[in-house]
Order: sequence, then C-alpha cells, then structure tokens
Amino acid sequence: MSLALALMVAAGTWALKGAGPQLRHIPDWLERRLGGLAPALLAALVMSQLTTSRSLVPALDAKLAGVGVASVLAVLRAPLIACVLAGAVTAAAARLLGLP
Amino acid sequence: MVAALPLATAVFVFGVSFGVLAAAIHTPAWVAVLMSATVYAGSAQFAALGVVAAGGGVPAALAAALLLNLRFLAVGAHAGPALPPGRWRRLFLSQLIIDESYVLGLRHLRRGLPDGRTMVISGGVIWAAWVVGTMLGVAAGPVLGDPRRLGLDAAFPAAFLAMLFPLLKTARARLAAVAGAAAALVLAPFTPTGVPLAAAAVVGLVVGRGNREENAP
Repeated sequence: MSLALALMVAAGTWALKGAGPQLRHIPDWLERRLGGLAPALLAALVMSQLTTSRSLVPALDAKLAGVGVASVLAVLRAPLIACVLAGAVTAAAARLLGLP
Repeated sequence: MVAALPLATAVFVFGVSFGVLAAAIHTPAWVAVLMSATVYAGSAQFAALGVVAAGGGVPAALAAALLLNLRFLAVGAHAGPALPPGRWRRLFLSQLIIDESYVLGLRHLRRGLPDGRTMVISGGVIWAAWVVGTMLGVAAGPVLGDPRRLGLDAAFPAAFLAMLFPLLKTARARLAAVAGAAAALVLAPFTPTGVPLAAAAVVGLVVGRGNREENAP
C-alpha cells in the first residue's frame, strides 16, 4: 500500500469525521440507509478476497479453509484477533498438509 | 479514562494485526504508522489494505475505505454539539470521535448529548493504543517471514468476518450483508475491480440497516 493511498484515505476520513458536527441534523431514514453500508461492504470484501476475476466459485484452497474456521469463531462472537489468528493458523496448516 | 482501558487494549491488539498485515504486503513501516495516526479508522484501513492485497487498484481501495467511513457523518452529527465550539477545534476533536469513544460518551449523557470530555479523552487514549499497536505490528511483521506460509492471506477475510458478524443484529442488516455479498460475487468475474464493491455499497444503501423496532425478535 502506498503513501498516496494512505494520505487520500486520511483526507477523506478527516472530511467525513469533520463534516458531521457541521451538519445540523441527519434524518433518521438517511441514517438507517447509511447503516446498511457496513454490512453490505464487509460481506462484499469477504467475497472479493475469496474469488478471483476468473470464476464465480471460490477456490477450494487453504485460504478458504482458514476463512471457514474464522467464520465459525466469528459467529461465536470470538474477538477479532482470535478469528484472525485461527484463520491464519488453519490456512498455514492446510498449506503444510499440501493444499494450494 | 479507566473505562476506556479494556477498549484500548482490544484496539491495541487490532492495531498490531493491522501493522503485521500491512508489513506482509510490503507497506513501508512509516506509511502504515502514519496511516493509523491520521486515519484512525480500523475497518476502513483494513478494507484499503485488503483491496490492495487482493490486487485491486487505488480507486477501489479508496472507495471501500471511505464508504465504510460514511457512518462518521451520522456519528459526528449527533456528537458534534457536545464538542467545544470553534470550526478548527471541532475539526480536530471530531477525529477522536470514533465508534468506541462515541459509545463511551453515550454512557454519560448530558442534556441528551454524549459527554464531550469523555469522548475526547477516551478517543485520545484509544488513538495512542492504535498507533503504538501499529508500530509493534510493523516491527514484528518482517520478522515473521513469508505471509502465505503463515496463512496471512486468510487473515483479511477473517478480519472482515469478525467485523461483520456483530453488525448483523437486525433482519435488514443481515439482508444487506447477503445482498452485498451476492452483488459482489456475481459482478466479480465480469467487471473491473472496484465495481463489485461499489455495487455492494449501493445495495447496502438501498436495503439499509433497518430499525430496531421493526425487527423485534
């Protein structure tokens, strides 16, 4: 990741955090709609990490195994670090066992 | 400030993860630390990192990060009046109002507003934890070795899942997640990077989060 990208994210974030107090009021309906962004985006980000530009089907590889284990932990409300570590360890172990 | 400590510890660990993953995709250490210090938004930083790691370009990474940060408009609109007056002061102090500090501020309502001092002080403490965590992560990262061998490529989707599940409290939010994932999945093979994420964002806006009242179990 480049310095340019980091600075652009920072600039945009400063604008978003700073604009809030300047706005008098955000209508309820708009706030509920904005609230739909994070679930949709995070789910889409998971998908984008699992698929390639070539196929609709996620590849059956060590990464998928890791994600599977991580999702079980996530459903069980394990802390983020536990999900990340479990996913990474599973993927690493799967690679040791010969999965791509 | 004491109440912020458990949250600060969690954020510290989160920061270490960010630093390690940033190092794994060859981000210069100082860039990662600068990003944490200036952006101070974990999910957006992870999103940008994740898009780059998966081969996406700068526009897609930037869009993902800023779309996730749109919620700060709502947070800022609520919490803003609790901050001391002054345009520049509010611009700076509002950077400290993140999900965690906002929630802590809500525990001490004054005239219907979250407590400004709580938000600013806890926001500052948690910021320090975030930045120091990132520093530790980027220092430890290169020592760990080959990211694929360590399964670190699975770390990104794992982190996104861990961030996603606590949000799925209402039926609408769950629908937004499913629909966003479906939109991204269907579009990925046919469109340039960034389009699936933009489509998921539109889907998320259309579906919305839903009202707690209308989703009573």
